[in-house]
Amino acid sequence: MSEHQEEPKLMIDLVKVSKTYLPDIQALSDVSLSVRKGEIVFLTGKSGAGKSTLLRLLTRMEKPTKGVIEVSGHDLNLISTVKLQILRRSIGFAFQDFKLLPERTVAENIAIAMEVSYTRPSVMQTRIRKLLQRLGLVEKHNTPTSGLSRGEQQRVAIARALANNPELILADEPTGNLDSETTEMVMALFRQYNQQGATLVIATHDTSIYQGTSHRVIELREGRIVARGDEEPEAEAPAPDPALAFADDLFSDE
Amino acid sequence: MNFFLAVIKQTLRNLVQTWKSQLLTLMTIALSVLIFAFFYLLYTNALHTARQLDDDLRLIVYLDEEPSPAMQEEYRNKIQKFDRVERIDFISRHDAFNRFAEQLDEDREILADMPKDFLPPSIEVYPFRSLVTLTKIKRFSDYLLTLPGVLKVQYGREWVERFYSFIKLLRIVVILSGTLLILTTTFMVANTIRLTLLGRKDELELLRLVGASTNYIRVPFFLEGALQGMTGSACGMIALFLLFNWIKLRFAVSSILAMFEFTFFPLPVIAIIILVSTLLCAIGSFSSTRKFLQL
Ligand SMILES: Nc1ncnc2c1ncn2[C@@H]1O[C@H](COP(=O)(O)OP(=O)(O)O)[C@@H](O)[C@H]1O
Ligand SMILES: [Mg+2]
Repeated sequence: MSEHQEEPKLMIDLVKVSKTYLPDIQALSDVSLSVRKGEIVFLTGKSGAGKSTLLRLLTRMEKPTKGVIEVSGHDLNLISTVKLQILRRSIGFAFQDFKLLPERTVAENIAIAMEVSYTRPSVMQTRIRKLLQRLGLVEKHNTPTSGLSRGEQQRVAIARALANNPELILADEPTGNLDSETTEMVMALFRQYNQQGATLVIATHDTSIYQGTSHRVIELREGRIVARGDEEPEAEAPAPDPALAFADDLFSDE
Repeated sequence: MNFFLAVIKQTLRNLVQTWKSQLLTLMTIALSVLIFAFFYLLYTNALHTARQLDDDLRLIVYLDEEPSPAMQEEYRNKIQKFDRVERIDFISRHDAFNRFAEQLDEDREILADMPKDFLPPSIEVYPFRSLVTLTKIKRFSDYLLTLPGVLKVQYGREWVERFYSFIKLLRIVVILSGTLLILTTTFMVANTIRLTLLGRKDELELLRLVGASTNYIRVPFFLEGALQGMTGSACGMIALFLLFNWIKLRFAVSSILAMFEFTFFPLPVIAIIILVSTLLCAIGSFSSTRKFLQL
């Protein structure tokens, strides 16, 4: 996953970033934040605090009004179109509004993220099958996503974000529509990708998923960072997780 | 390898998803190609026939006596005064006799007793073979008749004149239908592509978010346009070929059409028409995609 050995250790670096929506909605003010490679960061705060805006800035779905954003060593203010396209292929984004194509099947929706990287069809099929299995959606493989419940759609959006084995995973309210059991399924999957080297930024107002965690929790209030969880002592791999026991083959593409 | 696979998959998806407007576009392209090619075929065949008639396109001015060199110069000036011409030849009595003898060939003995100057001298005027001069050939002839010493003016039969105005009309029609072809194909294709783009806004947006390359997004639409152009124009040409053969079978036996030999386009011309249509459609889709996606 992380094939750029000589690159900086920071995955994300924001310096005094502000975002103002027209006419004058101050969604983010002077946000500075660094995320190391391999870290998991929870981004919390009330609705309207600016969590989604921050995530969108990280893939340049929007441009900051002020400030510098670096992702994986690229300055997003200066990045070329082609470089941005390549960067985006290494970012998995589970959007808050899912952005699923309703008339396409679950498998087709997940495949989109891999197709743009020209992944071999056989590899795509394997990964889709494994992800659906882990998310409890196996029997929905060929169902159009318009025929799914919100919770199921949410998991498909998550599966699509993970399918391309991204270096950076951005999840916007990934458990908003899930029961606690499914939430744990998703979190286990996230931890596993993190163990394989992926960096995660998870925006959520669901306290249950970060309570008692050793990971950094950053709280936004009205576009400002108000509380920083303790800087993670080391970017060590998290404690072994029982959920990982049966999932070792997730990354093997076979 | 995988790029092409992905792009072809995407193209097929486009085609399936919007097959109704695709079909409409295809028919429009086929029809415009048919119309254009029909008139163009008529035009080329008419031109072919016209070339055989070219020799009828001269005015022969018979004179009552052999003009002296000074007179010849004066005739020349007066003829040029009406219109610039391609060539003016003076045919003396002697020349006329020889030419006649040549035409008679083996029967030339019958001329043996004839005086060598029994044919009148003449001036042969070759107007420019432009359609404009042809329209005033009658006036030209009338003018020549007013020159001193002119006995009679002869020129190509009237139907030649009519025929040439027919060609002239055809040329206009060809140009018009050609323009129509260009406009309809590019417009229709650009429009279908635009509809496709609109109908798939969300998907294109998503593709961009997951990092699809510009070509990944654009090439399928380019292919779609080219495919439409190619299939549409091929259909048009096939339709024309069938129509051509039907007309030939139906009318060629009895009517005056039997006088002429009609031929279909040679293969290179067919190839060029299809190629140009394909290119036009590809350009149409390309520019439409460019505008819409702001690539
Ligand atoms: N596209 C937009 N145009 C205008 N205002 C927006 C837009 N997106 C978000 N906002 C505003 O920016 C603020 C932060 O929104 P958002 O980032 O979605 O917060 P969160 O994800 O934490 O709920 C809110 O006040 C919201 O109304
Ligand atoms: Mg949000």
